Amino acid sequence: MNTIVSIRRLSKIYGAGETEIRALDAVSLDIEFGEFLALMGPSGSGKSTLLHIIAGIDRPTEGECHVQGVDVAKLSESELADWRNQNVGFIFQTFNLIPVLTASENVELPLLLTAVAPTRRREMVATALDLVGLSDRARHLPGQLSGGQEQRVAIARAIVTDPNLIVADEPTGNLDAHSAEAVLEILRALSCEVGKTVIMVTHDPRAASRGTRSLHLEKGRLLTGKEDSIPSV
Amino acid sequence: MSLGDFILRNALRNKRRSFLTTASVAVSLFLFVTLQVAVREMTIPPEDVSASLRIAVRNKISLANPLPARQLASILRMPGVAAVTPFTFFGGKFKDDDSLGFAQFAVDPEKFLQLFGEAKISAEELEAWKRTRDSCIVGKDTAKRYGLKVGDRVSLVGKIYPVDLELKIAGIYEGTIDDTNMWFHHKYFDEAMNNWGQVGMWWLRAENAEVVPDLLRRINAAFANTSAEVRAETERAFQMSFVSMWGNIGLLINSICTVVVFTLALVTASTMSMAIRERFRELAVLKALGFRRRQLVACILAESFGLAFAGALAGVGTAAILFSSGKFSFFPIFELTPRIAGFAFLIAGLLGVISMLAPAWSVSRMSVVEGLKTLD
Repeated sequence: MNTIVSIRRLSKIYGAGETEIRALDAVSLDIEFGEFLALMGPSGSGKSTLLHIIAGIDRPTEGECHVQGVDVAKLSESELADWRNQNVGFIFQTFNLIPVLTASENVELPLLLTAVAPTRRREMVATALDLVGLSDRARHLPGQLSGGQEQRVAIARAIVTDPNLIVADEPTGNLDAHSAEAVLEILRALSCEVGKTVIMVTHDPRAASRGTRSLHLEKGRLLTGKEDSIPSV
Repeated sequence: MSLGDFILRNALRNKRRSFLTTASVAVSLFLFVTLQVAVREMTIPPEDVSASLRIAVRNKISLANPLPARQLASILRMPGVAAVTPFTFFGGKFKDDDSLGFAQFAVDPEKFLQLFGEAKISAEELEAWKRTRDSCIVGKDTAKRYGLKVGDRVSLVGKIYPVDLELKIAGIYEGTIDDTNMWFHHKYFDEAMNNWGQVGMWWLRAENAEVVPDLLRRINAAFANTSAEVRAETERAFQMSFVSMWGNIGLLINSICTVVVFTLALVTASTMSMAIRERFRELAVLKALGFRRRQLVACILAESFGLAFAGALAGVGTAAILFSSGKFSFFPIFELTPRIAGFAFLIAGLLGVISMLAPAWSVSRMSVVEGLKTLD
């Protein structure tokens, strides 16, 4: 397998002096293409910070973070924006859909930044919504959807540009068990069947068990003894 | 969906707020253009083609003091005078209209068209007016307003002079800058006043523009050191002397305009800040999805500019429609000039830019992570 994410001695420090907080402390990690990695740990352990740095929305204080061979820490703001648009799909705990746009328009948002023609965009949006089973809700506003449906729209938005890396920050945290199961199944399928790399932050051991591997962080460090390799479901 | 659709949806997401913002810009700019047009009309009175040749002669003491009728012979003898008429403002009350609905002037009908040649009236009606001593002609706007027609009799109750006048409408004219006035025989007025031997003013027409300066000097000199010294001035200068009676009205109105625009800037800036602050989390998501800083700033600018422009369109458009109807003010002409309209749109543009500065600054400095932590 090839490595998609390569992290070496990555640290993130907030504040200085007595108020210094070491959110990540010399973390080293490799993530392979097609993995479904679950990042676990207590609140404040640094798992979201690690996810943000990998996704290019935060910068490390020290260390290197290569994603598909690109050192994201060295990209400018504009380069990072373009890079995120082409290489990373985001899924958030609170869905974060734009309330005034329909499901299909929300999914189309990342494509507005590309040179894809409008007709092709519509096809890509339809395909993404079909993959998450929401073709019949394309014209619904977020307020007209259930939480589980909203999160599936968010997944469609994350995959519409066909990125290799999908990052999910507690994607089932706001969902009931049934909806959470549906979301996890989609993420699993994206990883196992489509070959996308999924990195998911979660508190939920059952959610983590759906991944191919889970890593535990505590006080900004990876707990080496707690790395699990979970066979694909 | 295009980026334009996206911006429009955002601008209209809170319809009540968008409407109120647009309405506040519209009302403020309507007020702004109204005041600016008023200043313009007061400080730059309208002129017609004959204005450069017309000379007003009034009592040097004040406009309220009359002049002796005997001055006519002296004026007529002066070289360069093409026509002269006595000109007295009657200021009578018509019907129960306590406000001065229209102005009434006593003149010499034989000279009327020589002085005010832009007035269009049929030859029959003009002749009828000249022939009939107690007749008058009325501007078409006043005729329309009061439903007057040729042959009607009208009564004017004197409010300045102690006489009432009964007049028969001989004709209706149009084509002047102010088609609201009523004109009647000065001789009829003189009779009503028991041949008082005075006139309000003299209005005369010079033979050509070159003789005007010399004529002004001659007239002023002719009656110097008499019991009724005069001030002869061009129509333009006469109108400007009226303007000077308003005091520094321009400064006052422009000060009000400045306050209006400043207040408007504060209101729109506050509204835009509120609108963007509510969407901080969404803007952070857009950044995460790959929107660049300048793209987000451009979206905010377009939204802010769009609301201001819509307000300007509504405010200036309403003003243009109202003013062009001719029923908006007591000014003979109340014209929204392209310059004033353009200035109003320029203000709207600046409002759009100024009101987005603070939100755009916040958004451009916002990190995605911090933005995502913002509560909805």
